[in-house]
Amino acid sequence: MNFKKSQIALLLLGWLISNAAFAKLDILACEPEWRSLAELLGGDKVDVTSATTAFQDPHHIEARPSLIVKARNADLIFCTGAELEIGWLPLLLTKSANPRIQASQLGNFLASNQVELIEKPATLDRSQGDVHAAGNPHVHWDPYRLLKIAEAFSERLKRIDAANKDYYQQRYSAFASRWNESIDKWESLATSLQAKKAIVYHKNWSYLLNWLEVEIIGDLEPKPGIPPTSAHLADLLTNTNYNKPDVILIANYQDKKGALWLSKKSGVPILELPFTVGGSKAADNLFTLYDDALSRLNQIR
Amino acid sequence: MKYFRLLSYLILPFGIVLKVSANPANPDVSFILDGFYKTEDTALSKRGRSFGLGHTELSLQSAVDDRFIGKLTTVLESHDGETEVELEEAFLNTVGLPLGLDIRAGRFLSQVGYLNSHHTHSDHFAERPAVYRALLGAHYFDDGLRINTLLPTPFFWRIGVETFKGNQLAGGEGDESVGVYTFNTKLGGDISVSNSWQFGASYIRHKLKVMEEEHEGHDHGHSHNAGYSAEKLYMLDAVWKWAPLGNARNRQLILSAEYIYADDLNEYATDDDTHEGWYASLVYRFRPQWAVGIRQGEVELKQAHDDHFHDQTLEETDLMVSWSRSHFSTIRLQYSRQQGVGFENVKDSVSLQYVMSIGAHGAHEF
Repeated sequence: MNFKKSQIALLLLGWLISNAAFAKLDILACEPEWRSLAELLGGDKVDVTSATTAFQDPHHIEARPSLIVKARNADLIFCTGAELEIGWLPLLLTKSANPRIQASQLGNFLASNQVELIEKPATLDRSQGDVHAAGNPHVHWDPYRLLKIAEAFSERLKRIDAANKDYYQQRYSAFASRWNESIDKWESLATSLQAKKAIVYHKNWSYLLNWLEVEIIGDLEPKPGIPPTSAHLADLLTNTNYNKPDVILIANYQDKKGALWLSKKSGVPILELPFTVGGSKAADNLFTLYDDALSRLNQIR
Repeated sequence: MKYFRLLSYLILPFGIVLKVSANPANPDVSFILDGFYKTEDTALSKRGRSFGLGHTELSLQSAVDDRFIGKLTTVLESHDGETEVELEEAFLNTVGLPLGLDIRAGRFLSQVGYLNSHHTHSDHFAERPAVYRALLGAHYFDDGLRINTLLPTPFFWRIGVETFKGNQLAGGEGDESVGVYTFNTKLGGDISVSNSWQFGASYIRHKLKVMEEEHEGHDHGHSHNAGYSAEKLYMLDAVWKWAPLGNARNRQLILSAEYIYADDLNEYATDDDTHEGWYASLVYRFRPQWAVGIRQGEVELKQAHDDHFHDQTLEETDLMVSWSRSHFSTIRLQYSRQQGVGFENVKDSVSLQYVMSIGAHGAHEF
């Protein structure tokens, strides 16, 4: 009997050790762009899920039971920060009761903490809409900032999972050189876009349009977080007739009513872009997301 | 005057606080303004006829250190020209304990049922359902200790126990050191990307000796205490939410229902003397700013009169439409129909209500 017991114990021990050695790092990304980046950098050493899809507005998510379970299991969370997830992430962290991913722990990684943000409001006043004190959080649309975030995230992977340090370094080097090559390609594709004018739905395209030197002449939302009103749309129409924008840009998850009205009245075409990975058929990782967006933007005449 | 002093302490830092989100010097501050006009006094209601203020709330929350969160919520309510300040929440909560453990101590809202742990300003109707108003004093909070654990199952399964002093529930008096125990479990998950659900069961054991109660009708409620007592309460709750592709920004449908059964009302109660009630609510936000809802509910009560009971029943139907300019403001029009036996003021009413949240961004609880 004793022999049997020790045999079982040995088996169990072996199973535990092998589990620990081969267990993948469980990463919960708040948005699909970070899921894609974590997959690109972590390769087969990580298991990544995303809390939201490309069709969900990341401002308006509830800390629902299934997300609490995902957060409980995670070794590392990869989120935007800068108050983008303020309505649900703090609640998710508390309710998950997971010590690894709490603020200030190694398992808590926020993209917005790695780079400078643009559009920091000079004054904070809710009459200006739902503005983010830390600045514009939609940072994955600047390829240079994204590279910095990738570098910082790779460093974090190495610290959490030191056994696979070399592997992560290799993945990052490969990613960085491919990304830099792609930036050159995208920039050469985008030369015809310079000095074009756009109307956007929300401030979520600022990084992309700044990078491509497209001018933003108006927002469909009268204030951030407030859906288009008829009075505001009428003002925009006047603005449109005067400023002659080339395109109305909307994200795949945004309500199209206001954009359709303005387009019909002004004759300015609507261009729908995937906002993040999974937002269009072609955009299945960060590279193809940028490829798809750039090729769509090139339709602007 | 002491209220004013307390208030000024709480309000003064506000101007500074709004500039940045929570940090050691500046906790998250939020306040809620809730006001209404109602056409009638109605049964089991604390909201009287004419203009009035509901739950005016001032709340501070912050991380204490890396292991604790602290929260303080004060509520101001005015009745008959008097303003009362009440502490609704003053608790600490642990952060990231091992084994999925989560401990809360101090004064807090009990987690029984579905609505009870939610703040009233996030409700979809002007008042809590009749069964909540009668048996839980609209929302049951008390001084005590909670221990929860999240079980390591592939779906959401939480079990928890709370112990309370107990004098916020009806009729409680006595020298028990722990007056109320609650047991609660919640299960939940996603059926698909568009559909999520949660199911809960709770048990409340009230150990304090039940004293004779105030009669409804006399009680236009200064206290938060529930109006009807029982030694044992059993609760079931279920919630289902739908949003196209899970994007609650534009459209969302919320179906929720609860059932409460209470027995052992007092020493004279026979097996037939029980309280019972339920509600079911359907709310549909059909555009980002607009929502409509219908709620049906019923409660059957036994009002204690010395050694016997009088039957009371109240059936309520509520219809509401609400508009939210932004995430932070809501204006609601509600029609409530009451039918009942054994109550004064069983009347139909129309309410116009506003709920404004200022300051820190509220949490999107399921």
